[in-house]
Amino acid sequence: MRIPILSMFMTSPFEGLQEHAEKVRDGAAIFRIAVKCYLNAECESFERARHEVSDLEHQADAVKRRIRGHLPKGTLLPVDKFQIFDYLKEQDKVIDCFEHVLDWLSFRPADKIPEYFRKDILFLVDSVLDPIDRLNEMLTDARRYFKTFSQEDRDIVKEHIRELRKKEGQADILEATLKHDIFAKETDAVTIFHLIRLVETLGEIADHVENAGDRMRAMIAR
Amino acid sequence: MTFEYTILILGYIFGFYMAWNIGANDAANAMASSVGAKAITLRQALFVAGILNVAGAVFVGTHVVDTISKGIVSPEALTDPKVAIVGALSALIAAALWVFFATWKALPVSTSHSIVGAMVGFGIIVGGFSSVNWWNLAGIVASWIISPIFSMVLSFLVFKIIYRFILTQKELMARAFGLSPYFIGTTFFVVIMSFLCKTPLGKRMALDTITSTGLSLAMASTVGYAGKCLLKRHTKKTGEEGVEHTFRHLQLVTACYMALSQGANDVANAIGPLALIYFFVSNGSIGGQIEVPIILLLFGGVGIAAGIAMWGHRVIETMGHKITTLTNTRGFSVEFGAATTVLLASKMGLPVSTTHAAVGSVIGVGLARGIEAVNFRIVGQIMLYWFITVPTAAITSMVIYKILYLLFF
Repeated sequence: MRIPILSMFMTSPFEGLQEHAEKVRDGAAIFRIAVKCYLNAECESFERARHEVSDLEHQADAVKRRIRGHLPKGTLLPVDKFQIFDYLKEQDKVIDCFEHVLDWLSFRPADKIPEYFRKDILFLVDSVLDPIDRLNEMLTDARRYFKTFSQEDRDIVKEHIRELRKKEGQADILEATLKHDIFAKETDAVTIFHLIRLVETLGEIADHVENAGDRMRAMIAR
Repeated sequence: MTFEYTILILGYIFGFYMAWNIGANDAANAMASSVGAKAITLRQALFVAGILNVAGAVFVGTHVVDTISKGIVSPEALTDPKVAIVGALSALIAAALWVFFATWKALPVSTSHSIVGAMVGFGIIVGGFSSVNWWNLAGIVASWIISPIFSMVLSFLVFKIIYRFILTQKELMARAFGLSPYFIGTTFFVVIMSFLCKTPLGKRMALDTITSTGLSLAMASTVGYAGKCLLKRHTKKTGEEGVEHTFRHLQLVTACYMALSQGANDVANAIGPLALIYFFVSNGSIGGQIEVPIILLLFGGVGIAAGIAMWGHRVIETMGHKITTLTNTRGFSVEFGAATTVLLASKMGLPVSTTHAAVGSVIGVGLARGIEAVNFRIVGQIMLYWFITVPTAAITSMVIYKILYLLFF
């Protein structure tokens, strides 16, 4: 066939974004299990889950590289291609954070974490992971918006973004409370350092999800 | 006379091959996005494309045939009928070979460009550089650059209009219905005008420009209004889905429009040189104004239809699968832009490339940010093959002429 139109239609980068978001979602589920195992001092299961998250991170990285590598100059998209890269960067940082948290945990055995913080930490984990399903929904709906361009679909995406921001706000409050408690109840400097850094990295997860939402807001701006 | 008839028969064979090739490959431009967007089934597409290509070829196709058979090589150079018909046959064979090679190697080559290049080669070898009508050729080359840009702009505008006045509005369906008569009306206006102006049909009806414009306007408005009523009756869905559904119906109109335009323009690629051979065989010289016989146009049209019937389904299907990202609103914009460009070019006697017009249109919609990912860089490749096609076809044509010369003289 000698028809150039055939080679004009490329694989949409949004497909890749969705694939990447799914990796993040899968990673989140295993990440939660990993943290739980750690806190219950189930070392073997923790290590296994940590490796799984690390694997998913590598896969997500590959998706990211594929998207970046396959948007050459002269690709026409519904949005600026650097907006896609910006978005992807934030989404990728989410799964990076999972890995960082688990690595950080692995450096110190679980029994060094005071009993009364364990529940709060799990609570914070749930709170920062909560918006990730939304992230996936947002992407699907955004993709539909780029097809229909209807105000209705745009409002749906905007609602998702608003929700992401709200959830980040809630996680922030939890993070602050937990930090306050750590300083109030702990005296051991090493434990404080370990805990504070853990809580901060957990907080970053929600931050990056929110940032991804903000980048999406820029993409759907008229 | 056996010599002339041998040439004529060979001309018919290679002309048919060219027409067949256009049907097999290029017809997909008209139909693929409609099939991909599920506006019509593959079977319907093949049927409609075949019929409308014949109609376009027979009723609107004369101008471009004239350009290729008489506009590139000046008639003064063709005093010897023997030389002229052998030359025209060489041009036809050269173009057919290049197109065959391009199809085999999947190169983005246009049949229009090949045949023009081959005719230039024939002109140069028969009467030297002065026998080629360089001004006409410059016009044709300019049309190759202008036509994709024109169709790009048209499709860009059409999609922007759809975006601005339908998609982003609140009352989606009302807006879509409100604009539909204009879309349908414009399409029919261009089609009817092209049937009435400067065609054998129009001449027989003896209408002046004002009457035919008025008549076209009246008919187009009626059809536009009737179309709106039909759409309203047949579209039950609402919201965004309803809009796409409306455009799915409208795409039927533009796909037909595109097939018609293609027949009108591309038939010349097959029978342009054949028409020249036909003149000489039937008249012995190129005296005065000779009409392109309807039978030749019909022959070309049927050749295209045969290509569509035999091979077109494969290409349309493959392309249809690939371009499913083109929703109905986008497909409509692409087809409208490309078909209008090609039909207008046909009326001006310019052999443009339907494929390139369609490429321009897809880029137009892409620039309007309507498609998830379009590769713009294909343009560079297409331009490269412009520069390769014309000289290659010209040189091949010269070589074949020399060979035939040795054989026949």
